[in-house]
Amino acid sequence: MGTAEATAVRAATQPSRRRPGWFRRHRFEIALITPLVAYIVLLTIVPIIDTFRRSLSAPGTGFGTLKSYQAIFHGFSWTDWTIFERAIFNTVIVAVLSLALEVSIGLAIALALNVAFFGRGFVRTVTLVPLGVPTIVSGAVMLLIFQRSGYLNSVMALFTNLLDKIPGVHLTWQNVSWQVAGGWRTLLTIAIADMWKVLPVITLIFLAGLQSIPQDVYEAADVDGATKWQRFVRVTLPLLIPYFTMALILRAIDAFRIFELALVLAGGVEPVLGTYISSKYLPPVSDPYTSSAASIVLFGIIMLFIILYLKFVARFQVQR
Amino acid sequence: MSIAVTTKGFRRTRRDRLEVPLKLTFPLWVIGSVLLVLFPIYLIFMVSFAPGSALFGERPQLVVTNYTLQPWKDVFQTGGIMSPLVKSLFVASATTVLAIIIAAPAAYVISRLRPAIRYTVVIGLLVTRMFPEFTIGISVATQFAKWGLLDTYIGLILAHLIGSLPFIAWILVGTFETIPIDLEEAAHIDGASRMGTLIRVVFPIAAGGIAVASLFVWLYSWNEFLYARLMTTNQLTLPLKVFQAIDRGSSQEMATVAAILTLPIVLIVYFLQRYLRPGALTGAVKG
Repeated sequence: MGTAEATAVRAATQPSRRRPGWFRRHRFEIALITPLVAYIVLLTIVPIIDTFRRSLSAPGTGFGTLKSYQAIFHGFSWTDWTIFERAIFNTVIVAVLSLALEVSIGLAIALALNVAFFGRGFVRTVTLVPLGVPTIVSGAVMLLIFQRSGYLNSVMALFTNLLDKIPGVHLTWQNVSWQVAGGWRTLLTIAIADMWKVLPVITLIFLAGLQSIPQDVYEAADVDGATKWQRFVRVTLPLLIPYFTMALILRAIDAFRIFELALVLAGGVEPVLGTYISSKYLPPVSDPYTSSAASIVLFGIIMLFIILYLKFVARFQVQR
Repeated sequence: MSIAVTTKGFRRTRRDRLEVPLKLTFPLWVIGSVLLVLFPIYLIFMVSFAPGSALFGERPQLVVTNYTLQPWKDVFQTGGIMSPLVKSLFVASATTVLAIIIAAPAAYVISRLRPAIRYTVVIGLLVTRMFPEFTIGISVATQFAKWGLLDTYIGLILAHLIGSLPFIAWILVGTFETIPIDLEEAAHIDGASRMGTLIRVVFPIAAGGIAVASLFVWLYSWNEFLYARLMTTNQLTLPLKVFQAIDRGSSQEMATVAAILTLPIVLIVYFLQRYLRPGALTGAVKG
């Protein structure tokens, strides 16, 4: 029998021996996975598309207008910012400040926890506690700390009084209103609040990074006579780079979604994207069109970071 | 002999200038970290037990000696805390149960996919979780308003599932991956149906992972503020109650409600800490 013939025969006999179709063979799997897929499609994908559609609509004209976007930007100029542009700017500033604080303090704590010392287990547990603290609660606490007659002023006064006891040093502490002043100081309090909230996560990421560095690299450095500083700068930091990237990108995504802390600490003074959108959506403004447009801009910014995430972090994070 | 000599030749000749300062500052470093982390938590509980006299004035007292239970009594007797407490408890528990029922079977299927496809699906779940809640929530809240679901338990549960499902599915894929497929084949040979295998073999083995994942979902729903704010006009949840107290309550009321919200969580996190992986948390916690 020639090859062509064989093929023809095979093709002819195929239907009778055909395995059941893909759908029938995978009935069980499809039944199990459908609820999840349906939920994500109906209550995540569809709403995003719906928000996008609404952002391109307006009360009078219906679909197909850029009115809402024009309303939130209304002709960009460098000197005269709309509240929305101010909100974007503030969000970026808060994100950058809080990232800088988180990464430096998180690394410092991780370095300390990577050294064996008495009570390390206890300290490790303690540093994880803020993880569970609800964001709204950390906002409330930061309000207690940063308000005009708040606890930061008490702590600072305590320290200056201690220093004042030293002969020849005369210091007194003037109360500072940290949070209500607006501008940089308010943004800094949001960043500090955010830093406190996510410190455990960053510490865990860096701790995992530090523990992934093999000991023989340090031994080699020691043999070459490296000082502690050289070990840190030339060995530890370069080997932590993937973890820096991971922390930066993951945190950037969260930092742009910041909402509760800004609402509590800067509600009326400095807008960020989250508080801007909610103030437009909720009564008394109740404007679903502008808030949709603003939230689509937020979505765009997040997508940018998601692309960075897919490019630099995803493989690393999932395959670990 | 000769080896010892060579090693000696490599010994450091100059002293490390950082050695001594590091040794001296290390305890301060550790104590500073602990204080930085614990001070705010101490503050919530301290203020909730403080008499008014300790809080007012230019510089409130850092340590209060004359504790009082008055703020707690006030909150429970006249503060209207019961309805938010019940709503938060119910919504968090219902969200957890539904999340497991929907996500666990799906996660099992995903964990049995071919690696390349599984990887893509898992990344997809992670990315879904990164979408800003506002972009989803504004549309969902508008829709729910039309259906009369604002202020209802079911509306908030549905909203909280949006955030929980991709998260719990992702954690559970990791759990199911560790269960060898041989076990299922053995059950199959013994005559178990596929559903029977899943319920009697796979899920019991994964029980530990499912328990941890459900605690995360419970915590997420218990803490959740954004969806609750978009979908609530007067039936507050506990986080919204904290916000109301921030907005127009006294410091003690704010601290007490915050303490009620925080207490179960601090306990859970303390006992859960050995299950905490950085990857699992980066999306669970946000600013």
